[in-house]
Amino acid sequence: MARLELENLTKHYGGQATVRGVTLDIPDGEFLVLLGPSGCGKTTTLRMIAGFIEPSGGSVRLGGQDITHRPPWRRNTGMVFQSYALFPHMTVAQNVAFGLEMRKIGRAEREARALEALRMVRLDGLADRLPRQMSGGQQQRVALARALAIRPDVLLLDEPLSNLDAKLREEVRIEIRQLQQQLGLTAIMVTHDQEEALTVADRLVVMAEGEIRQIGSQQDLYERPADRFVAGFVGRSTVITGQVREPGLFESAGGLRLRCQGATAPGAASLVLRPEAIHLDPPPDEHNRLEGEVTFASYLGPVLELHLRLSAEDRITVHLPNRGGAGLIRAGDRVSIGWPQDTGIVFAGTA
Amino acid sequence: MTRAARKAGAAGLIAPATLVVALGLLLPLGLLFRYSLNRFVPGEFMVDALTVENYIRFFTDPFYTTVLWRTVRIAAIVTVICLVMGFPLAYVLARTQSRFKNLLLMAVVLPLFVGNAVRAAGWMVAFGSRGVLNASLMGLGVISTPIDIMFTETAVIIGITAVNLPFMVLSLQSVIEGIDRSVEEAAFNLGAPPRLMLWRVLLPLAMPGVLAGGILTFILGMNAYATPVLIGGPRFQTMGPLVYGQFIEQNNWPFGATVAFVLMAATLVLTSLSNILVHRRLHR
Ligand SMILES: Nc1ncnc2c1ncn2[C@@H]1O[C@H](COP(=O)(O)OP(=O)(O)OP(=O)(O)O)[C@@H](O)[C@H]1O
Ligand SMILES: [Mg+2]
Repeated sequence: MARLELENLTKHYGGQATVRGVTLDIPDGEFLVLLGPSGCGKTTTLRMIAGFIEPSGGSVRLGGQDITHRPPWRRNTGMVFQSYALFPHMTVAQNVAFGLEMRKIGRAEREARALEALRMVRLDGLADRLPRQMSGGQQQRVALARALAIRPDVLLLDEPLSNLDAKLREEVRIEIRQLQQQLGLTAIMVTHDQEEALTVADRLVVMAEGEIRQIGSQQDLYERPADRFVAGFVGRSTVITGQVREPGLFESAGGLRLRCQGATAPGAASLVLRPEAIHLDPPPDEHNRLEGEVTFASYLGPVLELHLRLSAEDRITVHLPNRGGAGLIRAGDRVSIGWPQDTGIVFAGTA
Repeated sequence: MTRAARKAGAAGLIAPATLVVALGLLLPLGLLFRYSLNRFVPGEFMVDALTVENYIRFFTDPFYTTVLWRTVRIAAIVTVICLVMGFPLAYVLARTQSRFKNLLLMAVVLPLFVGNAVRAAGWMVAFGSRGVLNASLMGLGVISTPIDIMFTETAVIIGITAVNLPFMVLSLQSVIEGIDRSVEEAAFNLGAPPRLMLWRVLLPLAMPGVLAGGILTFILGMNAYATPVLIGGPRFQTMGPLVYGQFIEQNNWPFGATVAFVLMAATLVLTSLSNILVHRRLHR
């Protein structure tokens, strides 16, 4: 339990910058989630915090102490590996007690604390099993208990749930979040699963190409993305490319004239629209009213997803809440849609 | 496929190996044992008998027990040296991400391309009292009398170690490669310095390789022939050359068979013993 500060953390691999200038201040007790496309440097960042990778530059401070050049065994970070990394030749109890043994804690206290950690993940009944005699979900919880038992200053989780099935993943992530809050732990988790990120995080960090693109709450990232990349990466969205003709007027590549927020100066731009912000059969006074042909309709349960062609160039994805009458719209139908002027986000530039 | 058919198929697959083992190993072994119970009468070669006097002679004559003890000692020392030197090398080979990994592996195996006898002969040329090394050192005036490296137990140990090291490295490397790297990192992360990580995590998990490599080098060390003969010199006796001497030079087949059997039994007993000990330690 401690504050973690990364300052200008950088890693080069042979001239190639994998992580560049990552600066983060994570207060005591915060759950931070790292999001980003594959290869953007999330694991590298986490491993620099744990001490497995020597940074090329920058510093790591944990609980006010500079640990940048400390070996991993003197850092007191608790890492949960994607592959669990349990010691196959030790029982569950021995696995969990290992870190305490390394801290030269007496046998009685060691066993008590190991059992307590196992109880936290509801596995105290399986203390004498070997890892291979357990299911994936159970092994993952042992790995968690093992990391918690040492009372780490910071809990590091690198895609801890990616080997579990969807149902179990939901259960374990809630469990992780509850334990983290209950113990007041500082935690950083890497995940590819956005829903997972949104449920557990106090704050999220979006990375791309080794850099931080945005730090913020769920709402910040979703409603006020810092750039087009974040807008496209967090949640579903449609990007329409075109030009801002005059403040408040956007013309798409396909010639659609759309009303938009007025802050962006005229020039090449793109308009990002969330699929659920668009509605069917808009009132006559709606700012943007369009007709389109349904090219694809899919029934997702709570929502109905439609892909529409608005012009020769312009496509849009729409999510409609499922109110029962779903199967009514089919591919080939023509529908009319609309959205208010301030719904979309406009980003200047062509990229 | 039915279960019976599958069984028959499996039996068919292992039959050739079984046959080779039976004909090539068990038959001569049985014959050897039978010979060791025969009596040697000079001039008459081998007389049919059922006697243990050859074994009594072996174990009561200090010359032979010394040879046995020396052989065991050399094999054991070689095994330990191979393990200590081979483990780091095997570890590096297993964990390297270098493009030249296969080349490195080849380099480890390369010495095996040269037969033991050829290699030992080479060493004689290099390290003998009139060999290249001594000649150059004396020529340069560094030493005045040749250094005696050849014909010592140390030289034999070095020689056998050089032969056996690749076997140890390969056995260890294949096992270490199968150990998840993140298990080592987990140990570090939980506060284990490298020494404790090695002792508590890596070594126990690499134990199958340690055992396989250890048994292999020990057996090879016990049975070494060319290296002790060529590097140890004519007066240096270990069990392998002793067997040969009895069979070929003395023509004493019964006693030669006895020595061979003692050698085999000692090897077998010692390897199974260490096997049991290791397993007991692992499954405490
Ligand atoms: N040892 C290394 N040598 C050279 N390049 C490396 C090394 N390790 C990682 N990289 C590169 O650094 C980049 C970032 O890797 P990293 O594992 O941090 O990505 P990531 O964000 O965790 O991706 P993923 O989501 O796929 O796990 C990748 O492009 C990778 O190829
Ligand atoms: Mg990763």
